[in-house]
Amino acid sequence: MTKNHIVENLRKQIEKWKDEAELEKVGHVIEVFDGIAKISGLYDIKASEMVSFPNGEIGVTLNLEEDSIGVIILGDFSKIREGDVVKATGQILSVPVANAQIGRVLNALGVPIDGKGAIKAEKNNPIEKVAPGVITREGVNQAVQTGIKAIDALIPIGRGQRELIIGDRQTGKTAIAIDAILNQKGQDMICVYVSIGQKDSKLRKLQTRLEEGGAMDYTVIVSAGSSESAALSYIAPYTGVSIAEFFMDQGKDVLIIYDDLSKHAVAYREISLLLRRPPGREAFPGDVFYLHSRLLERACRRNKEYGDGSITALPIIETQSGDLSAYIPTNVISITDGQIFLETDLFYKGIRPAVNVGFSVSRVGSNAQIKAMKKVSGTLKLDLAQFRELEAFAQFGSDLDESTKNQLERGKRAVEVLKQPQYAPFATEDQVVVLYALTKGYMDDVSIDQIKSFEEGLIEYASKNAKTFYKEITKDKMWTDAGEEELKKVIGEFKSGFTKN
Amino acid sequence: MATISINNLARAIYESSSGKEGADLDLIVKNTVKLLSEKHMIGKSKELLDRLEKLVDKGDDLVRAKISSKTKLEKKTIEEIEEFIKKRYKIKNSVLVFETDEKLIGGIKIEVGDEIIDMTLQNKIHKLKNYLITN
Repeated sequence: MTKNHIVENLRKQIEKWKDEAELEKVGHVIEVFDGIAKISGLYDIKASEMVSFPNGEIGVTLNLEEDSIGVIILGDFSKIREGDVVKATGQILSVPVANAQIGRVLNALGVPIDGKGAIKAEKNNPIEKVAPGVITREGVNQAVQTGIKAIDALIPIGRGQRELIIGDRQTGKTAIAIDAILNQKGQDMICVYVSIGQKDSKLRKLQTRLEEGGAMDYTVIVSAGSSESAALSYIAPYTGVSIAEFFMDQGKDVLIIYDDLSKHAVAYREISLLLRRPPGREAFPGDVFYLHSRLLERACRRNKEYGDGSITALPIIETQSGDLSAYIPTNVISITDGQIFLETDLFYKGIRPAVNVGFSVSRVGSNAQIKAMKKVSGTLKLDLAQFRELEAFAQFGSDLDESTKNQLERGKRAVEVLKQPQYAPFATEDQVVVLYALTKGYMDDVSIDQIKSFEEGLIEYASKNAKTFYKEITKDKMWTDAGEEELKKVIGEFKSGFTKN
Repeated sequence: MATISINNLARAIYESSSGKEGADLDLIVKNTVKLLSEKHMIGKSKELLDRLEKLVDKGDDLVRAKISSKTKLEKKTIEEIEEFIKKRYKIKNSVLVFETDEKLIGGIKIEVGDEIIDMTLQNKIHKLKNYLITN
């Protein structure tokens, strides 16, 4: 571009600009501390309205008191001084949304932080919005395939569901979320990953992992890092869901992950205490339930008349030494449509993902499961529960009758089959084949340490030889008698070859 | 007991003192100071005075405005501004305070209470800058 061109462009832009004298409402900073400012004046300001400080920082009004207002500062508050002029903007806090945000990393205000240049906003969406009402909704009836056998078979997640992932530190909560994102390739799903108070190194690692798996083509990352202020952590999930709603409004399906809401609650507690709101249980403010319920209620499956599309939410909660009855975990458990409970003990026993099948439930997901999967996994959960009980019981004596022994052996194999390494999502069809072989007893005489290689071999062999079965599952979501016969034959063939070797 | 807000206190003082003169007023001033010291609110007297001033102004149908410009304004301009303020706030009296500031470059800025009408060149340049950044 030549110099003249730049000047020409600027000239045109400047000519387009019109200035009108306008009335501005202003106030003055009384005090600033820890990301909070108290401001006098601004008498008829709205709640959660944006205000601007002289150096361009933005604040949001949270407390409206008789003679002052409490504002949280989004950004650097070190340059704000007492007596500074604060202007009201007349706008409720909103974030820019655009299709171009896909594949990018944004901060809590929707500004890109990945160094790939600015994004032109298509719209500004307010971050707080009332959740869709009853009339606009529809039952959950379509599956989100996570590619994790234990989840897809036992704790199925449907589009529009809110499924909590809960567990202690280092039990693989984020791993499940990443696997779920990676598996959405080609599933017509947009993913939003909201990172709240996480280490920047962890986020960077995650981003690289998603890039390697080609998942950034349909993923937006919203990040409020642990070095940023609590105010940004507080608004990050709302920013994320506003972006998700933008895609849902286009009739698309969106998967949003909040990693994690315990840190979000802590950030909100910090803000509330600084604003001198009265503390309640565990020093959280009284409206911490509403904080999460209004966020998660925005996940929904919308019916055709109201534009279709869905938002599936996977909030993550970190517990302290398995304590599910702490304040925030119980709150979020009661808000969501089920939870995936991860346990340290299982994790160190080598059962990964460390899903505790007994404590995990999905209250609405079974309607979303495909028929074939429902058929093979129907008895699995019960089998596993019985196995767990028998396992504890069997430790006391070896005198067991034949059927109990069989049940134990089957249970051990089921546990083995449900183990799955990270970043290795399974296609639904493959899951159906493996679980079919398991529940129909084809694996009963395969020794436990060979289960994994049996599984791998079977999938490879079946995908080549049981073409009718695979076709039926992908197309009609259920097998026919002919397909089943074919699969039985294929499994038999493979097994005889496998045992010979 | 609920805490007494500055607003309540200012209103009470205003109402009890308005229309009083001489010894009566002296007594009210004395009682007010006594009350403030009893309620440990002497430290808030500056805010209280601000609030009281606003109440008095309202009672007198008066508006205080601060007008900033780069150079001293002409008499005619001042009259026009006064007229404008009286019309806008629908009041009879106004007190104008003038200030000069080199940084404004040109134009004038009118401040009334928590409202500002900024027509200075400094503000215009600032707005143009924002416009060019966002477009």
